[in-house]
Amino acid sequence: MATPLQLGFQDAASPVMEELVHFHDHALMVVYLISSFVLYIIITLVMMKLTNKHAHDSQEIEIVWTVLPAIILIVVALPSLRILYLMDEINNPHLTVKAIGHQWYWSYEYTDYKDLSFDSYMTPTQDLTPGQFRLLEVDHRMVVPTESPIRVLITADDVIHSWTVPSMGVKMDAVPGRLNQTTFIPSRPGVYYGQCSEICGANHSFMPIVIEAVPLKHFEDWSTSMLEFT
Amino acid sequence: MAREEGSGERKSFKLLGILDVGRIPCAREAVLHGAGGSVVAGLGHFLLTSRVKRSFDVGMAGFILTTLGSWFYCRYHNAKLRIQQRLLQDALQNKVIYEGTSVDPSRKTNRGPSESS
Repeated sequence: MATPLQLGFQDAASPVMEELVHFHDHALMVVYLISSFVLYIIITLVMMKLTNKHAHDSQEIEIVWTVLPAIILIVVALPSLRILYLMDEINNPHLTVKAIGHQWYWSYEYTDYKDLSFDSYMTPTQDLTPGQFRLLEVDHRMVVPTESPIRVLITADDVIHSWTVPSMGVKMDAVPGRLNQTTFIPSRPGVYYGQCSEICGANHSFMPIVIEAVPLKHFEDWSTSMLEFT
Repeated sequence: MAREEGSGERKSFKLLGILDVGRIPCAREAVLHGAGGSVVAGLGHFLLTSRVKRSFDVGMAGFILTTLGSWFYCRYHNAKLRIQQRLLQDALQNKVIYEGTSVDPSRKTNRGPSESS
């Protein structure tokens, strides 16, 4: 989850997010160098005493400031396209979960083997126990096995919502009448938080998403207990 | 959950408020190499030509080129290492899963000519 005043990404919990962070570091270095160069030019301009009132065309600098930005764009675009296609790779998911957005909660359906479905409401602040996170905890988490490709089919029941888990590098709109698909692979066990990312009414800020990634054995135990409970 | 400062990780230090050289792999080395290259290029140009303003320009160019060169070199080797780590992890997982079965890779390499039937 994010910490107060955090500006950067959360720690990556999936291979795709690791690649996204890697690419972001690369793009940021390019941005930093361009910013340094611009800062240097501004300082030079301010400190310069000479004023050239007879400057005319200059082929050399025109070529430089045309070719160089093109090279910079290629240096940034190639890794970007690589990740774009990496995110769309077919990866034979081990599990399919349906996430349906409602006003103002999420419901999850695990229908691969037996019909397991449950609602996931935000835990109200007054019901939190010490150590729990305000506006992020839910009563029923979406539990998934680690190291397994998970397919999530996302839709909505009323208005547009958006299913987001930043540490997994996943964000997908939940549109009524449409089924959107996304996949992710949890790299390690843990609890990963997200929040609805499309304005959907009064309680848009109060319908979080919580993924609990557990080893397969624990996932099987959890699904058995949930089937008995529901 | 994001790691907090002082938990064993390098501390955050942002250049120009954006580039966290403490946390981004290869960033600190690239910027230090760039600073060194900038000083060498700028100072060398000044010693040769005694032109101050042009030497600063050469120093800036040296900074950008050296930083970029060091950055790409380090990131390339970093990416190779990450791929090797991933392959090793998969191999270890596969070894545990397939050990003792007919598809065990280590079993195939140990086969001798007497097992050809």
